Amino acid sequence: MNFINRAFKNVTRRLSKTILLVLTFFLIGNLVIIGLGISSASKSAKILTRQKMRAVVTYQVDYEKVWRYADTIEDEDELQKFYENYPRVKVEDVTEFLKDERVKMANSISSNMWYSDENNSLDFVHLGNTREENMDDTGQSCWYDESGAMQCETYKEPIFFVKSNMYPGMIEFEDGDYQIVSGRFYNQDEIDNGSMVCVISQNLAATNNVTVGDEIVLATSYMSTYMKQSGVEASDIENSFEVIGIYSHNNPLTPDNSNYDYASPYENPDNMIFMPSTTVYMAQLPANEKTFDYYAQMYPEEEYYQNPDNRPSIENMDKNMNIDNVTLLLDDPLNVDQFVEDHQNSLSQFTSLDANNDEFNRLAKPLDTLSMYANFIVWLVVINAIVIITLVTALTLKTREYEIGVLLSVGASKLKVIAQFFIELAIVAIIGFTMAVVSGSLISRQIGNKVLEAQIASSEINEEEDDYGYNYIDPWSTDYTTDITLDDLVSEYEVTVSPLIIAEIYILGLGIVLISVIIPSFMIMRYNPKKILMNQN
Amino acid sequence: MSEILKLENINYSYIDGGYERQILKDLSYSFEQGKFYTILGPSGSGKTTLLSIIAGLDTPNSGEIWFEGKNIKEIGLHKFRRNAISIVFQQYNLISYLTAVENVLLAMSETDNELPKGRKNVAYNLLQRFGIVRSKADRMVNQLSGGEQQRVAIARSLASNVNLIFADEPTGNLDTATEKEIIGIFKELSHEFGKTIIVVTHSDTVSAMSDQRILLKDGKLTDL
Repeated sequence: MNFINRAFKNVTRRLSKTILLVLTFFLIGNLVIIGLGISSASKSAKILTRQKMRAVVTYQVDYEKVWRYADTIEDEDELQKFYENYPRVKVEDVTEFLKDERVKMANSISSNMWYSDENNSLDFVHLGNTREENMDDTGQSCWYDESGAMQCETYKEPIFFVKSNMYPGMIEFEDGDYQIVSGRFYNQDEIDNGSMVCVISQNLAATNNVTVGDEIVLATSYMSTYMKQSGVEASDIENSFEVIGIYSHNNPLTPDNSNYDYASPYENPDNMIFMPSTTVYMAQLPANEKTFDYYAQMYPEEEYYQNPDNRPSIENMDKNMNIDNVTLLLDDPLNVDQFVEDHQNSLSQFTSLDANNDEFNRLAKPLDTLSMYANFIVWLVVINAIVIITLVTALTLKTREYEIGVLLSVGASKLKVIAQFFIELAIVAIIGFTMAVVSGSLISRQIGNKVLEAQIASSEINEEEDDYGYNYIDPWSTDYTTDITLDDLVSEYEVTVSPLIIAEIYILGLGIVLISVIIPSFMIMRYNPKKILMNQN
Repeated sequence: MSEILKLENINYSYIDGGYERQILKDLSYSFEQGKFYTILGPSGSGKTTLLSIIAGLDTPNSGEIWFEGKNIKEIGLHKFRRNAISIVFQQYNLISYLTAVENVLLAMSETDNELPKGRKNVAYNLLQRFGIVRSKADRMVNQLSGGEQQRVAIARSLASNVNLIFADEPTGNLDTATEKEIIGIFKELSHEFGKTIIVVTHSDTVSAMSDQRILLKDGKLTDL
């Protein structure tokens, strides 16, 4: 008849006490399961939704900080100086980010609209839409001549959209929106050397019967009068590029798109050409040099044109190639917040990393609140449970003094007596919690959903409607964030009693029992068998 | 007969209402193996206190207790209670949520003494020997009469295979016939099984049947 056996006998033979305690643990267990279930569902919904979002972090100038700082400068000259050295994102920072193994690639995109050469040797992919039929009616391009008079001429519509990156690889390709079907993407060497290479679409290649290894000729501008006045020649704007890769994409512009009829050729994703940013700079350099010199001659009083640091050149390439922002693609959406936290402090005063979480966090607020309340309830219940069970155990102890005296008189150790009490409570806790797991599984989902509905209603989250109402095609846009709606979050919210919650409830239960036995244990340790038995006798 | 328990200069006092009450004064006595002792004395003379001290339930202010030549402090009071002695109380002190046989098994499970194999059968046999048949042995103890419960308590005291058994007014709640029967059992235990029985009692009937009557008076033990 060891102490474990005695504990079982006590539980099974003092049924009324056992049933009351089981009911207590059952009620506690249900509240804890509902709390844990809601908390876990809220967290899971956030994680699952976050996982659906693209793992992007934007490195950019913090304009708000810049403006706030500028507001504090009272001296005009100092303010002028500050604006001349306007804060920019630093290439060194991006180099440092790229060393972080969580960063898969970086996008620092610039966009240009280019032309075919004078002979139109490279045809664009035609949509056959209204816009293409009226290509000659594209409005006027105007400028001021040497006498200050305005000159205008017909503007020539660009046909190719050149998207360039300062880093190898692009998020669009990593995400699978674009896929290389032949050849390859440009590499670091080609970026460093400004090599005349490009990647074109499958349809553009087919239209012009071009394959990997062939060369295509593109013009960075059309030969306007203004260009001619600057001394720019056809050879300054036309460049030959080796096609090193051919891609396909998942974003065809189809007639069912409301923008289809009015889309310019360069808005057709098939007419998008990828090349390194340095390549674009090198291709534009001869014409830019000449127009700069022309302006410097025209406006000798303009300080800007007299400063050699501002003149387009290979030496000034880094300075001239302004980076507005860099989008970093990370390996896992769940690493985004930690990445920002790890690197934010090492940045300069006016640059920042943005996890693009604002909308997500705003929409997730009801879930956060719900999770917070659920956790609060769990701890409140656990603390109350400890107090109640401790009191019950301590009071029961008084009625069991005699039994303790007998056990001690026959030589049972006090530790064994405490262990017996612990096992007795543990048995009823396990029974109560097991019943609670069953009932909790059934009711926690209903209660969890009701509570979420009430929480959403009270938090007054309003989703902004898309004013456009159609899928607007914007090739300039480099927004890599993922749009998230409240429905996305709510659809992932599912209160279930997972094995983890079951394990948690048993661990919590045993914790409650253990703590509840501690105070009565001190009482037992102070018991004197002689006093107990003499009082009894 | 050899000495089993020796008390040497035992002193015990406690504070009561601000005054010190000296219960035992330089008390010395030697108990022999296989004898049935009764300790008599007026109410408040300290009989139960003495029993508690020699049973290792309490400790004296000074003095030594030797069990089979070893100081019980060295043995350890807890181990001493577990392996050397058994106590039978006036209120039987059985555990109410256990059956009679389980109460006997309780003592067996706590002792380190060597016990015969098949403990449950041994427990049933012990109970049978003291008149508790198997059907009663499987009953909860509160379903037994006072005499039966005391027999169960005596069976439990023997179950741990100890040589020294103490009893505090073991027949105080029993009728005369049952009292005689219980004392008969004690005599049998001392004479046939060589157990030393020390009984604290007010009863002349009980003391008359013992081998040695001892009086506790003024904190000292005196043979009668």
